Amino acid sequence: MKIFIIGAGFTGMRLAKLLTAEKNTVVLIDNDTEQVRTASDQLDCTVIEADGNNLNTLENAGVASADALVVLTKDDEVNMITCSLVDAAYPHIKKIARVRTYDYYTQTTDAEKRHQEQPNDGTRPVFGIDHMVNPDAEAAKAIVRAMEIGAVGSTIEIDGGYGIVVLPIAEGCPLDGIKVRDLTSLEEWHYLIAFVETADGATLPHGGTVLNANDHIGILTRREDLPRLLQFTGATEEPIRKIVIFGADNVGALTLAGQIQRKTSFWDVIKGYGFRQHKQDLTIIDRDSARCREIADKFPDVKVLNGDITDDMLLHDEGICECDLMVAASGSYERNLVTAAYLKSRGARKAIALTADSAFNEIARKLGVDVAVPMRDTMVDAIVSHLRGNFVRAIHSLYGRKLEILVCDIAPNSKAAEKELKDIPDFSECLALLIRQPGSDVCEIPRGSTVMHSGATVVLIVPVGDKRIVRIFCGKSRGIT
Amino acid sequence: MTFAMTRILTYATGIVGTALLLPIAVAIKYGESRMAVIFSSTMLAGWIAAAAFWLKTRNHPKTLAVKNAFSVVGGIWIVICLYGAIPLYFSGAFPSFTDAVFESVSGFTTTGASVLSDVESLPRSVNLWRCMSHWLGGMGVITLAVALIPLLGVGGFRLIKAEATGPDKGKFTARIATTAKILWSVYLGMTVIQSAILWYLGMDAVDAVCHAFSTLGTGGFSTRNASVGGFGIPAAEWVCTLFMLLASINFVLYCRLLTGRLSDVFHDSELRAFIVIVLVAVISITGIEFFHGTAGFAKTVRDVCFQVSSIISTTGFMTYDYTQWLPSGQTILLALFCIGGCSGSTAGGIKVIRWTVLAKQCHNEIRRLMHPHAVFSLRVNGIPGREGYVPIIASFMFVYFLLVFATVVAGTLAGLDVFTSVTAALSMVGNIGPAFGTLNPTSNYGFLPPLLKWWYCFAMLAGRLEIYTLLLLATGFRRNTPSRNT
Repeated sequence: MKIFIIGAGFTGMRLAKLLTAEKNTVVLIDNDTEQVRTASDQLDCTVIEADGNNLNTLENAGVASADALVVLTKDDEVNMITCSLVDAAYPHIKKIARVRTYDYYTQTTDAEKRHQEQPNDGTRPVFGIDHMVNPDAEAAKAIVRAMEIGAVGSTIEIDGGYGIVVLPIAEGCPLDGIKVRDLTSLEEWHYLIAFVETADGATLPHGGTVLNANDHIGILTRREDLPRLLQFTGATEEPIRKIVIFGADNVGALTLAGQIQRKTSFWDVIKGYGFRQHKQDLTIIDRDSARCREIADKFPDVKVLNGDITDDMLLHDEGICECDLMVAASGSYERNLVTAAYLKSRGARKAIALTADSAFNEIARKLGVDVAVPMRDTMVDAIVSHLRGNFVRAIHSLYGRKLEILVCDIAPNSKAAEKELKDIPDFSECLALLIRQPGSDVCEIPRGSTVMHSGATVVLIVPVGDKRIVRIFCGKSRGIT
Repeated sequence: MTFAMTRILTYATGIVGTALLLPIAVAIKYGESRMAVIFSSTMLAGWIAAAAFWLKTRNHPKTLAVKNAFSVVGGIWIVICLYGAIPLYFSGAFPSFTDAVFESVSGFTTTGASVLSDVESLPRSVNLWRCMSHWLGGMGVITLAVALIPLLGVGGFRLIKAEATGPDKGKFTARIATTAKILWSVYLGMTVIQSAILWYLGMDAVDAVCHAFSTLGTGGFSTRNASVGGFGIPAAEWVCTLFMLLASINFVLYCRLLTGRLSDVFHDSELRAFIVIVLVAVISITGIEFFHGTAGFAKTVRDVCFQVSSIISTTGFMTYDYTQWLPSGQTILLALFCIGGCSGSTAGGIKVIRWTVLAKQCHNEIRRLMHPHAVFSLRVNGIPGREGYVPIIASFMFVYFLLVFATVVAGTLAGLDVFTSVTAALSMVGNIGPAFGTLNPTSNYGFLPPLLKWWYCFAMLAGRLEIYTLLLLATGFRRNTPSRNT
């Protein structure tokens, strides 16, 4: 596959590295001399120093034969216009743009919906962008999800009410020192361990794997089973009332919006859940007064503080340290970690920090941060999931980046189609978590005898970049269109 | 500048002159031939002035500078009030020219303070003209002029801004003439509806129209000495109560309602505050009066609702002498004297929105004391970031109460007692009508010395035009300031 990446920033570099490792042809374009030099030193791909929004430059670099174009410059407008430009000349190329301005993101999505509804005109998407990725919105969603379960651990959302919760094994809890195969003998255990995270990264569990205190385990569970699971592991879900968000940037604002939206949801109120949420006391802190002003205008019920979070007087006056949950979501990732750890040491009960990538997970845990949301990982995952072909729906890379969760549909011409799970060749390094048969709404945990009908959606844990597995389930379709 | 100004002045006179057609018709129908002649000659004079100036200046550039707009509006209001006083003076019902002017100013500014003790002896056409002046002044003569004649051009918006009430003056359609037309159509429609209901309830046609004019313009003149109560129709009192309240709501909201934008109406901070104020006042005064008074519950509720609506809408209709109430009830009513109706309505006073904004700002200040680092936003009608209103409103309040104070001083110099003078000043500047003390609802303004009447005329006009317009009147005539289109 030939992939063009415009913008050799952190995400561009990471993406190029990942894609070249999967033996794709990558062309990386940036107009910054220093970035281009670094990129050509580190990566096995074509690196061009030029303006990415120039169609001539792209044509000279051979964009005509490309399969995909990923635009990741820092300007949303440039990203959108570049896609639009290339789309006019080469509609067959799949285009992915990073759009961080939330209004652009939502409005383009809305316009896209209307555009599709119009007869005869739904052939090309708005601005020619096949997929928009918004890292801020993804990160905010992850934070809100973690807040929803009381910040006991990070979550990965999967289809059909299922999700994976990553929980620490506390010392003395029933899981401490137990072998995975012995779990089935425990009466209260109805869950599936998806992976085990040790200091070296995530690994697949097997019957003989011993669970140790301070390891983290990813457990597949339903939302409604979560309280029981938490009770079992000893990490009780305590109600969260006072929430302090540090940083009123995009992620902070979106987290706030998500949290407020959730509490006014009609069904939450009906279920009595919203009533509890309604008592939440939300505070947001930022040093930038203009941004504080904006937030105060937008959210009348939120206490907006303009000041430095390390200012002792401010912490004392506003009772920040007594908060139930601290969310550090500023644009400075290192500061987030330090702030979250600092407030935790001063008395905050739980802390969530937005970090650069999952490499910080271990240090975050050591600092006492309960949940670390890796910003760049979510971004790269979102882009890669669009580049793996039509049958791949989503990808979540796991800590250590050796394993990833792959959500895909089973293609009709694939090796796996219409076979029982135990008959699928070379499946030893993988784990099938869930399957949803075509035409059904219910997800189930597959057994050896479950038949993989074509059209079913499966959730797998596979080694990162393992094309073989993808091919077994998604067929041999070349390219990505 | 003088040219452009005089032209608009004469146009306005022409329009008001045309409005005299209605009193002329009534005069003819009821055989008041003397009044028919007086009204007709006044109308002709207005038409001739307008036509003469139109012929002379039709090719003249139209626009007005901002500061001229204010003096033009101030000038128009003064001229119109004097013009409206002409038929009143010649009717012979008023002892002096001063009294005729006072009555006319009180009419156009929708105050409703009369110098007469017996209005039932007036010719019917004169009574109609008194009430009609409320109606014309309520929505605004200039708004009417902009709606009817396209000649005012771009300057029209500036003129309306100088005449309209409330801190937030905007047009809700692309063209100002369309806005003016819609406002006047809604106004006319409501007048027709109220007249029809009153007529159905048993008033005769002229009385029904008169009271509809008075109610919708939130004026207060009546054709009976006992006001609306003089007809002995309780239902009519309820109808007037309802329409007084409706007339003191922002007319833009009716246009929103007509275009189906319901949520805008529900989220209007001013309307919400207005409803709360009315309810609180009605419930507390009813409570006080019912547990003390002798009248039955139905009568008490009706009287209280009527009087509260009459005062907060700055109408000044009186069916009951509220000075007979307990002092606590009177105090609540006195508080309403300082509030007034909603912005963009025909009501006068300080306007609910100004108090709402200041109250919100005050709330923010208190919260700021508790949380010195916190950032707060001032939301008006659901729109955030309206802190800019606060200094504008604060300075308006300052000027308003300065004028009230000056009027109090004028009253006491003329020999009124302090309480009467204070309430009369609030009543004049707020365009309400009746006051307390010797100027209570059963009394009238006829006994005041002429100089005080002239000062009250100024106070009523200043209150109607929200003070700045009249203050700027002087600057328009200053020679040394360069002006762009003279």
